[in-house]
Amino acid sequence: MTQTASIGRLGTHSGWAGTLSLDIDRREGRSIAVRQFHDGALRILRPHYLDDSGQVCYVIINPGGAYLGGDKYLIEVDVAPGADLLLTTQSATKIYRTPNNRAEQSMHVRLGAGARLELLPDPLIAYREASYGQVTTVEMDPTASLVMAEVVTPGWSPDGRLFRYDEVRMRNEIFLGGHLRVLDNLLIRPGVGSPVDSMCFMGEHTHLGSLLVVDARVDAALVKELRSLLAPIDPQGQLGITLLEGPGLALRALSHATEHLNKILATAVDLLRERWAGQGPLNLRKY
Amino acid sequence: MPNTATDMQAAPGYLLPLLQLSDSALPTGAFSHSLGLESFLDRGLVYDEATFSDWLTQFIRIQLVHSDGLAIRFVFEAEAEAEINRVDRELHASALPREIREAGVKMGARMLNIAGSVFPCQELEDYAAAVARGDCAGHPAMAFAIAGKSLGVPLAELLGTYMFSAVTSLTQNAIRGIPIGQSAGQRVLRAAHQEVRDGVVLAQTLGREDFGVTAPGLEIAQMQHEHQRARMFMS
Repeated sequence: MTQTASIGRLGTHSGWAGTLSLDIDRREGRSIAVRQFHDGALRILRPHYLDDSGQVCYVIINPGGAYLGGDKYLIEVDVAPGADLLLTTQSATKIYRTPNNRAEQSMHVRLGAGARLELLPDPLIAYREASYGQVTTVEMDPTASLVMAEVVTPGWSPDGRLFRYDEVRMRNEIFLGGHLRVLDNLLIRPGVGSPVDSMCFMGEHTHLGSLLVVDARVDAALVKELRSLLAPIDPQGQLGITLLEGPGLALRALSHATEHLNKILATAVDLLRERWAGQGPLNLRKY
Repeated sequence: MPNTATDMQAAPGYLLPLLQLSDSALPTGAFSHSLGLESFLDRGLVYDEATFSDWLTQFIRIQLVHSDGLAIRFVFEAEAEAEINRVDRELHASALPREIREAGVKMGARMLNIAGSVFPCQELEDYAAAVARGDCAGHPAMAFAIAGKSLGVPLAELLGTYMFSAVTSLTQNAIRGIPIGQSAGQRVLRAAHQEVRDGVVLAQTLGREDFGVTAPGLEIAQMQHEHQRARMFMS
C-alpha cells in the first residue's frame, strides 16, 4: 500500500513532546500495522487480537505518565480500505499544572473505504491549574465506520475540591468524503464565563461522557433503540442521544463518576460491535 | 419655543431595515423554537422569572455568542463567497442536536427568503443559490449577517440587534411556555441588556477555535427534547 501517513504532514519532528504514526492494513485476513513510528513521550504496545474478527487492537502509552505545560503531542493514524483498528490507551491521560502554556494533542485520522476505527481511550483527568487542548480530525470515506468515546473528569485538588482545572478544550472535526459533517467543540472553563455548575453547563455533575459514531448504518431507529437500552442506567436523565448527518449519532452524558459513564458508553459501544461486526462485548483489561 | 421638524436624514440609512429584520415578529418561525428551553421547563429547572433569566443568561453566553454571534462576525469579515460558505458549513456541523440543526435550516430559509425579497443584494442571491445547491445548509444568523453587511450596518450593531432579537423571541416563548407575565418578560429583557452588550464584545474577541463551542447541559437538554412527551415547541 502507499504510505500515506507521515509525521511531517503537520510539521517537523522537533517541537513535539511525542509523536506517533500508525498505518493499518489487512494482511492474511487480519489487520496489522504495516508501518509505525514513534518519537518522544509516546509509545505503542505490540498488537493484540481480542477476538477472531481480524480487528487489531493497539494500546498507546505515555511513558512520562502525564501531559505537562507546553507539551504538544501528535498522533497520526491511517486505516487502509477494509482494515479494522481498535485504538485505546494504557491508562488515563493526566494533565497536570500547565503554568504558562497549555498541553495539546493533535490527532489526525484517515479512514479508507470500508475501514473501521474504534477509538476508545481511557478518561482524561485534568488536575488543578491544568489547561488542555485536544483536536481530533477524521477524514473518512463515506463507507468507513467510526466510533469514538471520551470521558473527561476533574482531578482532585489538594484541598479535596473538584473542578480546579483551568480549561479543557476538545474539538472533533469529522469530514466525510471531504465534507465537514460533524464539528464537536467542547470547552469547559470552570473559573470564568458561564458557571460550570449552571444548568446549561454541568449542573451539579462533575464528569462528562461523550460518544460520536459516524457510520452509514446509523438511523433514527438505532438512536431510539439506544435511548431505550440506556434509559435504565440513566436514572437521573442526564443523557442525550441524537442523530447526526453522516449519518451518525452523538451521545452526551453527565455524571458524578467515571464508572457510571464508562458503563453507559460501553453499553452503547457493545451494541454496535455486536450489531455490525458480530463481536462480543469489549473487555479492555489493561495488559 | 418653535419646534423644528426634522426628518430621519441624521439617522443611518440602515436603521429601518435593521429594525424590520430584527423584529421578533418577523415570520421566521422563531415562535415555535425554544432551542432547549422546553426541556428545562419539563425538568422543573426553569419555572419563573428568575430561573428563566438565569437560563437566558447562559444561553446568550454559550450559544448566541459562540455559534450565532461568531458566525455573524465571520460573515462580516469574509472577503469571498467561499469563506461565507465555509462559515455556514461549520455552523451547521457544530449543531449536534438534531432539532437545533433543523431549527437553523428552517429559520434560515425563512430569513433568507424575507431578506432576499425586501433587501435584495448579490451576496444574498449567491447564498440562496448555495443553499439551493446543497453547498450550504442555511441559518438565520448567516442570512441576517449577509443582509446587514450589504446594508452597511456596523458589526457591533449587527451583533447586538441579532442577539437581542433572539433573546426577545425566546422571552416571548417563555411568557407562553412557563408561563410568566408580560411585565415579567419585559423585566427579563431589560436585565438581558448588559449580557447582550457583553456578548457583542465577546463575539468580536473570541477566536476561530471558539466557533461552535457549546455546553453539555444545554446540548443534552436539546437532545432530550426530541422525545419529550408533551411539547409546545419544535425544538
